[in-house]
Amino acid sequence: MSDGFRLGIFLTIVRPEEKALLAAAQERGLEVVRYDDRDTTFALEPPSDLPDVLVNRSVSHTRSVYATRYFAHYGVPTVNEPEVLELAGDKIRTSMRLYARGVPTPRTVVALSPEAAPRAVEAVGYPAVLKPAVGSWGRLMAKVDSAESAEQVIEHKSALGAPIHSVFYAQEYVTKPGRDLRAFVVGDEVVAAMYRRSEGWRTNAARGGSVEAAPLTPELTELSLRAAAAVGGGVLAVDLMESSGGLVVHEVNPTPEFKALAGATGADIAGRIVDYAERIGRQ
Amino acid sequence: MTTQCPECEAAVESRTMVLGEVFPCPDCGTELEVTGKEPFRIEPAPKEAEDWGE
Repeated sequence: MSDGFRLGIFLTIVRPEEKALLAAAQERGLEVVRYDDRDTTFALEPPSDLPDVLVNRSVSHTRSVYATRYFAHYGVPTVNEPEVLELAGDKIRTSMRLYARGVPTPRTVVALSPEAAPRAVEAVGYPAVLKPAVGSWGRLMAKVDSAESAEQVIEHKSALGAPIHSVFYAQEYVTKPGRDLRAFVVGDEVVAAMYRRSEGWRTNAARGGSVEAAPLTPELTELSLRAAAAVGGGVLAVDLMESSGGLVVHEVNPTPEFKALAGATGADIAGRIVDYAERIGRQ
Repeated sequence: MTTQCPECEAAVESRTMVLGEVFPCPDCGTELEVTGKEPFRIEPAPKEAEDWGE
């Protein structure tokens, strides 16, 4: 029932996920306030027509962080919180936090210069995966099998010029049965999980891997909730791999896509996110 | 309501699309974005930037 509750949504483009969120808010009789991340401006003084809660769906990490910082500054709760976006949007900080909280994660070594990078890869061992500190969808990721291939990737990355490309995040390549797992956490619940399979070594659904529903085993549920809590909680997709020693968490995504997961499991993920945001906004 | 793809000039129908929705042109596959509903307008979708992701 509509009582004037206003749900803000900050977005770049409308993908199936954002369309489902808009529809879920409409079904619940909420007033939706849309903010386009390409043309919103932020003054220090709060505007008069603020929403009761803001759901961040910008695909830009930079815009997400600043926008949620501003809405928090205006006193509007955000999903997710800016601190969560900052932390989970940075693989290095996420790895440190997972380790500090005792969440199993693959062996990871970081180097801050191209000169030190080969030593980081050697320390992890071959094969290793080199990932960008910020960014996803499998961009700029490379699996390296030898010192020679590592050297080539390091040279190419550092030639990109931006200082962030001279930060090298090397991670143990977890031998897995051609798949990984994604668990979707909303608040204190895992709402659905799926296997992602791929012919290649990257399993990102955005790269065209196939998906199927995965059972919410006690191990998967417990570990996913711990990983989500480690970065501050909220709406998070936890990516896990099956290692010989059990599940390990390799990423926690703070602005997750869920079209493939909703399709594979039938879970009403958009509805769950809107209900969660409404709860946060009414607290 | 229909309009033309800015790349290949194929006819594109608005159907149930919402403002801001991205979709591939049914003819040439270019990623397009709905930039107006009434009148129906489409433009090439923004290019993926380096910090885009989940």
